[in-house]
Amino acid sequence: MKKLMRPTSLLQYLALLFLFGTLASCGGDRSQLPGSRSTLATANDLQDKRIGVLQGSTHEAYATQHYPKATVLQYKSVSDMLLAVKSGKADAAIYSRDELMEYMRNSDDLGFVGGPLYRTPASIAFQQQDTELLSSFNRFLQQLRSDGTYDDMLKRWMEQGATEMPKLNTTGTGKPLAVGVLSDNGLPFMVMKDNRLIGFNIELMERFGAFCNRKIQYIDLDFGSQIAALAGHKIDLIATPLAITEERKKRVAFSDPYYTFDSLAVALKKNIAAQSVASARTPSFITGIITSFQSNIIHEKRYLLILDGLKTTVIISIFATLFGTLLGALICFMRMAKSRLLSAPAKIYIAILRGTPVLVLLMLIFYVVFASVNINPVIVAVIAFGMNFAAYSAEIFRTGIEGVEKGQTEAGISLGFTRTSTFFHIVLPQMVRRILPVYKGEFISLVKMTSIVGYIAVQDLTKASDIIRSRTFDAFFPLVMVAILYFLISWVLMQSLEYLERITDPKFKKKKVANQ
Amino acid sequence: MIKVHHLSKTYGDLTVLKDISLTVAKGEVISIIGPSGTGKSTFLRCLNLLEQPSGGSITVDGIDLLDKKSDVPKIRQRMNMVFQSFNLFSHLTVLENLTIGPIRLLGMQRDEAEQKSLEILKLVGLAEKADSFPDELSGGQKQRVAIARCLAMNPEIILFDEPTSALDPTMVSEVLAVIRRLAKDGMTMLIVTHEMAFARDVSSRVLYMDEGLIYEEGTPQQIFEQPQKEKTRAFINRIRSFNYRISSPDYDLYAMNAEIELFCERQILPRKTRQNLLLLVEELLQIHNPLLTTTALDLTIAYSEKKETLEIILEHLGEAGNLLDKERLPDELGLNIITHLAQEIDYQRVEATNRVTVLLKKD
Repeated sequence: MKKLMRPTSLLQYLALLFLFGTLASCGGDRSQLPGSRSTLATANDLQDKRIGVLQGSTHEAYATQHYPKATVLQYKSVSDMLLAVKSGKADAAIYSRDELMEYMRNSDDLGFVGGPLYRTPASIAFQQQDTELLSSFNRFLQQLRSDGTYDDMLKRWMEQGATEMPKLNTTGTGKPLAVGVLSDNGLPFMVMKDNRLIGFNIELMERFGAFCNRKIQYIDLDFGSQIAALAGHKIDLIATPLAITEERKKRVAFSDPYYTFDSLAVALKKNIAAQSVASARTPSFITGIITSFQSNIIHEKRYLLILDGLKTTVIISIFATLFGTLLGALICFMRMAKSRLLSAPAKIYIAILRGTPVLVLLMLIFYVVFASVNINPVIVAVIAFGMNFAAYSAEIFRTGIEGVEKGQTEAGISLGFTRTSTFFHIVLPQMVRRILPVYKGEFISLVKMTSIVGYIAVQDLTKASDIIRSRTFDAFFPLVMVAILYFLISWVLMQSLEYLERITDPKFKKKKVANQ
Repeated sequence: MIKVHHLSKTYGDLTVLKDISLTVAKGEVISIIGPSGTGKSTFLRCLNLLEQPSGGSITVDGIDLLDKKSDVPKIRQRMNMVFQSFNLFSHLTVLENLTIGPIRLLGMQRDEAEQKSLEILKLVGLAEKADSFPDELSGGQKQRVAIARCLAMNPEIILFDEPTSALDPTMVSEVLAVIRRLAKDGMTMLIVTHEMAFARDVSSRVLYMDEGLIYEEGTPQQIFEQPQKEKTRAFINRIRSFNYRISSPDYDLYAMNAEIELFCERQILPRKTRQNLLLLVEELLQIHNPLLTTTALDLTIAYSEKKETLEIILEHLGEAGNLLDKERLPDELGLNIITHLAQEIDYQRVEATNRVTVLLKKD
């Protein structure tokens, strides 16, 4: 009976989750505040509005400077920013013309507010010390301009709205070049398609790789943390479209400009004066779901992105748990030692690790501890989550061990076992059974906690959904799908732990024998 | 087999064992009795180093246990312990509880260990519980398994730390029967117990422990029939006593009576006995009242649970003289009441103290 219950209750959960998601997404459409209704005609009308910008961009600096009365909302990705405008959470957003044009090619709900606000040259950023690579790039750029390739690239990406990479004859094979990118930046500069990066800047990088015979290795980072990553030697250059500013010049070195972009404000068309609102036809719920499914999962093989993300999430969860359990056992041993020399550091470790957010720990390890080491970010994630998990599991182990009566140890010792073998043969088996329920909960929360690894350029499940959102500008479907996937991972892993719980129950064997 | 020399144990300022010396020969069954909190269990636990002694020496078969080089776990394999709270390994079946030691420590094959363990379980009458878990057993069964677990290690000595104290009275006998059987088979055993009748007929020697010492020791006959020292006697006869010091003629009689009543209630004495006792005390004090101007009176009421007798002892310093002497009393009314209620009246001069002892007549 119990076995039958499980899948049914799982389905119920999923149905509930889906229903909740649907309701939430309906609610989102209605949530336009009355204050945002006043129409916009020129950029001056933005004065008292909510303006979305990309965190750390020149647009942010521009908005804060020119619209002191406006509320400037910072977003970590372009898709989040545009979604905020679409759902009325921001009245307008400031961004570069080319990406916005690309977006408007596929969707007609946004329009420009007035003309260009300002123009900025864009360039590739290098480490300040790395003058060799910088001058190499400048030579490369010159060559590109002189042989006509540059014009061809401009024509294809900027004017014709290309969505395919051209066939490049040669690629670099030498020492890898770590290139910082923003995978959801948007066309024409860079975007994920068919589970690989494409765009003007990507082509530029591929060609540069061939030029200097280096293998190009893309590192996907938040826009706001790219300069820090470059200055901290985590990457060799930034290929994300980056405007040259005085402030940035202090930390990184810029190449010759390869492009100049206009920045513009966008808003919902219905809020813009003198723009006719296209009559929206609402597709039925079912067709809506099917279309969403196709554009979010099937189109451009986006399921591959999700599968990769899923794999990364599972790998990080499992290895962090293993590492955390071993480290936790060591910390627990130190914590329970009679010598203060051992117990004091363990106590401090537990207090600090439990008292700091794991995100901060993750960033610290990535940007500070391993600043000058080229290390796979997945390993950093395993270390950070493992360290955090160790602090909790050490305390779980300690309560588990203390929960086993002292008499059990005494009986073992008086039977002739040494203290160590008493622990392994008598205390440990009893402790494991005791702590498993709590341990299970801690494990599940670890799985969910891994959703923040996108901060250090790991493409996990959450990041995969971010990338998809950046292409489809659909908040509901990717998020609900990811929620369901997390639930499924947790559920499967939970089942395996529950199995472990059953087989460590000494009475299980007996029952099995009795049932046969 | 075991030689203990000047063993002591202190916890900080608290001295639990002062100075204990003992020699145990092979085949001896030694019962250790005495009031709670006098270090009996601590002594036993010191013997296999579950507690680290503060001083003295312990040798088992010529090996010094306190020598850092000695392999203590090896000695413990030959000197097992049975605990008050059983301490069966709760994650193992009864059979596994028995086999874990032989397999892991003595290197016995599983089949052989299981076969031997089943035989031992048969011996303690629990062969059919071999596949049960400890929490499915009654207290008496658990303790028998604990004893069987010791036997599976084939020990030379077994230490019993109050093996029946945590048991229902109905289950005590099944455990004692097993220990009796071991005694008959010649096992060397040290048993801390409160079961006097059992200690008396199973032991070859009885130790009475008090004040952190072996206060008195001897054969069961000596200890249980003619205990030489006062504390031993009080313990054997299960004597409870009550003391009250009267130091002025204007003492609070009602407060004293209330305390005596409380004492009687604790001993569950019948109402009639209580009234007689109070009357007797009142009359005795009436007669001794004149003394209170110069000296204090010490009143002791002692109740022997075993003999079911009540004694009143009145002591005072000062000139020798029995106030209950007929000649010295102005009238005989008080004395008549006393003699009527008393079974025995005794006067003794002990050093500078006059002691009057009155035994209350039984109904």
